[in-house]
Amino acid sequence: MISVDLSEKMVTGKGNFVDDINLPGMLHLAFVRSPYPRARIKSIKGGITSRDIDMKMASVGEGASAGFEYLEHPVLAKEYVGYVGQPVAAVYSENAYEAEDLVDTVGVDYEPLTAIVDPEKAMSAEPMYPGLKSNILADRYLGEDFQVDAPVVIEGHFVNHRIATDPIEPRGIVAAYDGKRLTVWISTQSVHTIKQGFCEVMKLSPDAVRVIQTDTGGAFGLKGGFYPEYVVAAWLAMKEGRPVKWIETRSEHLLASRPGRGVVGRMKLYANRQGRILGIKGDVIVDSGAFAGGSGEFSSRFIAMQITGPYEINNARIHALSVLTNKVPQGPYRGAGRPEAAFFMERMVDRLADELHMDPVDVRMINATREPFVSPTGLTVEASKPFLEQAVKAMDYNGHRKKGNVGFGWFVLVPATMPGETARILVENRGIKVWLGGTAHGQRHDLFVKSILADELGVDPEIVEWQKGDTDQLKEGVGAWGSRSAMMGGSALVEAARKLREQVEKKYGKYSVARLLDGKWDSYEYFHYDKPYTSLGANLITVSTDRYGRVKVDECISYYDLGKVLNMDNATGQNAGGCAEGIGQTLYEGLMFDQNGQMITSSIADAGVVKATMVPRYRLILHSSESTLPSKAKGLGEAPTIGTPVALSRAIEVATGLRITDTPINPEYLISAVREP
Amino acid sequence: MMPPAFEYYAPTGVDEVIDLLEKYGDDAKILAGGQSLIPLLKSRITAIPYLISLSGIKDLSYITESSNATRIGAMTVDSDLEYSDTIRKRYPILMDALSKLADPLVRNMGTVGGNISHGDPSNDLPAVMLALKATFVARGRGGNRNIKARDFFIDTFTTALEHDEVLTEISIPVWKEHSGGSYVKFEKGTWNFSVAGSAVQLRLENGAVVEAGIAITSMGPKAMYIPEAEDYLLGKKFHKSVISEAADIVVEKSQPSPDTYGSVEYKKNILKRITMEALENAFRRSGGM
Repeated sequence: MISVDLSEKMVTGKGNFVDDINLPGMLHLAFVRSPYPRARIKSIKGGITSRDIDMKMASVGEGASAGFEYLEHPVLAKEYVGYVGQPVAAVYSENAYEAEDLVDTVGVDYEPLTAIVDPEKAMSAEPMYPGLKSNILADRYLGEDFQVDAPVVIEGHFVNHRIATDPIEPRGIVAAYDGKRLTVWISTQSVHTIKQGFCEVMKLSPDAVRVIQTDTGGAFGLKGGFYPEYVVAAWLAMKEGRPVKWIETRSEHLLASRPGRGVVGRMKLYANRQGRILGIKGDVIVDSGAFAGGSGEFSSRFIAMQITGPYEINNARIHALSVLTNKVPQGPYRGAGRPEAAFFMERMVDRLADELHMDPVDVRMINATREPFVSPTGLTVEASKPFLEQAVKAMDYNGHRKKGNVGFGWFVLVPATMPGETARILVENRGIKVWLGGTAHGQRHDLFVKSILADELGVDPEIVEWQKGDTDQLKEGVGAWGSRSAMMGGSALVEAARKLREQVEKKYGKYSVARLLDGKWDSYEYFHYDKPYTSLGANLITVSTDRYGRVKVDECISYYDLGKVLNMDNATGQNAGGCAEGIGQTLYEGLMFDQNGQMITSSIADAGVVKATMVPRYRLILHSSESTLPSKAKGLGEAPTIGTPVALSRAIEVATGLRITDTPINPEYLISAVREP
Repeated sequence: MMPPAFEYYAPTGVDEVIDLLEKYGDDAKILAGGQSLIPLLKSRITAIPYLISLSGIKDLSYITESSNATRIGAMTVDSDLEYSDTIRKRYPILMDALSKLADPLVRNMGTVGGNISHGDPSNDLPAVMLALKATFVARGRGGNRNIKARDFFIDTFTTALEHDEVLTEISIPVWKEHSGGSYVKFEKGTWNFSVAGSAVQLRLENGAVVEAGIAITSMGPKAMYIPEAEDYLLGKKFHKSVISEAADIVVEKSQPSPDTYGSVEYKKNILKRITMEALENAFRRSGGM
């Protein structure tokens, strides 16, 4: 058996992505999308419309929620549209070019309404939909209200603007129907989420749906979800009895794919003059977009829960708000609430340090906890002070501080552990195939899969083949998101391997690789886990600026507690990519809207994307302490997207003397720090 | 991202191109390297029923040097210029622009003639040609016609080319001893259109400016040359106050619009700084400092 190296396959054009699938008689689908952020639909002529597909989206995947039926996203718009890019009608042809031509043949008569754009103003604006009392979708307080007598009170207003997830491969699907069963090939983070979506929205029986993952060219949270375009593709395949393909264009992606971030933080921090934080209050306001469900609805609470970070803060009261606006619904983007929480808190701690003329790390040290701590908002933190002491030393904070513009930030990573994950190991023909419930989309799960089975079963990693997702091969599964795969997928695989070992021992009395490979074995495991499992991380960044106020990131060091590193290539790759995305959020990436609700960043150049010339070399230093999970791993994927924006923002503050409150940082603001020539 | 239907022609001679342009009128457009036109078609910003590719014409790609000019065939790709010893020796200002013109993949396909005749105020080569005082050769039914770069750019996407004319050659004069130039481009990110670009070409005698070419990118409806700044520099030697004042004149004459790249104030701020940098480079390269 020859092991095909996945990276080589991808970079030499041998990948098999969803757009590479071409089936006989295949139809191509294209969408007519709303040009208005908010409008009543008076009439539609032509195309597939809500008259044909009168369904509403179920909420599945990361950040799924129930309820809010009234505000559920329709598959195709009915009576009104709530955002620019909302699918209104669909057209199709045997030819992809013609399908796009047909978009113009559909006539939609709209009555435009005034759009609700700014989430803070939306809270007091007239309700978006009749029958609503306000535009506030979710409204929760975390922590008890408190009063403290604090000599130092600092207030801050922060914005993390929306950003496109922008995987290299946009969304896409091929759907086929043989009269009994719907089969879809899709670019996804979870075949099981997709299957559940079809079953719930189209009322299909689980036996009647098979979902197969194609090579997936990046996802970053977006492809954990289930979307209207998928339903229309499946509906058309079933109606016509022919395969149907839909491939998202980059323009559609920027306009109508769910973006991440889009959160406002209004913070008030109380401290004494020695730098001890006495309490924190604030509002977390998520710009949810025009419909309920998913991250747009739930993430305000998740962010509010994490506000206290690695600190021992005994008083905290956070108002978590999710607010309707006339924008595409917000979704999870790598980090998904975690970077926002860290940004709001760490910016406040740096302000406190400046107010007291203290070193920012000293303030952090004073407020770190010596013992495990549960914050008033519900965040579980291990003893963070020893970690901080080691991080400062390992990253040579003091050395960097003497040399230049250094920023330091740290955080608690809250991986999406629940409800666990599945794995299956199939041994036959002297080869080993592995499926995980979370389907990798560029992270190279094949590497840690090989490492685990080499350790657990003593087999040559060359014979271990990681398989893409397929609901016929693995009956249940969760998904690859939320920094969970090495922890949950890895643990499920360890348990499945141990079960397999036991099976061999039971049959032969003793385990050996030869006995394993001589037989045919099938081991499935659902590793259930219903608790959070947090870990600590820190980032240190140095920058320089030029005469145009441009920021160059010189050094980016990560100091993370990853537990047992299952595969070092996986870890360094995840770190580099995540740091690049953190740099992107801080300096370059943002989806911006004008006051009428039209997106003004409609090309990838305007929406911003990080290029090789903008990133430094990365260093990943391990703070090792094995987890108590079977895989011994801790979370990683999102860590650099949390630590990089906070450390980078601080480094820029040091370099420019400016206060950083919003991402992406406006170049016009940065140049204001540089004297006129 | 699929273009609307079009008919595609790839004739082997310029005369056939002119025939097709005459036949189809405004429904036809010339396709050179396609690096601007194809994205416009794919995003359906425009639709062109008849595309006439110049790729089949063999003799439009060349770089030849004589003692008083450098002649460049309009279909020469940007990367051929980038790797040309002649260009490197004679026109550092052009090398500056080429190294920042989009990315290497685009430069391998994009042509010099396409970059110029598209008439996009954000393209980099028009300002460089204005600063270098180049001349363009257009071929029409009646034969060749020379158009000075300074008479060529009329408005956004509008040039002095008649509908049935083809840009065939770019002729750049040789700037004599003690001359040098620089193009400074300020991008949001990299490999992007510029917020602003500034092209400066100088010739000095005894350290003082005797000839100057100054032009700017992305700062108005078209690539603009700034004669007031050129005149101001005549007779002046390098001094910080001189380049600052010249840059102020350039900024005053610029006509930027606010967009996602920045406000008018920001663009002018950037233009001031890049023009000073380009002037400083030009003085240094011509031995004036």
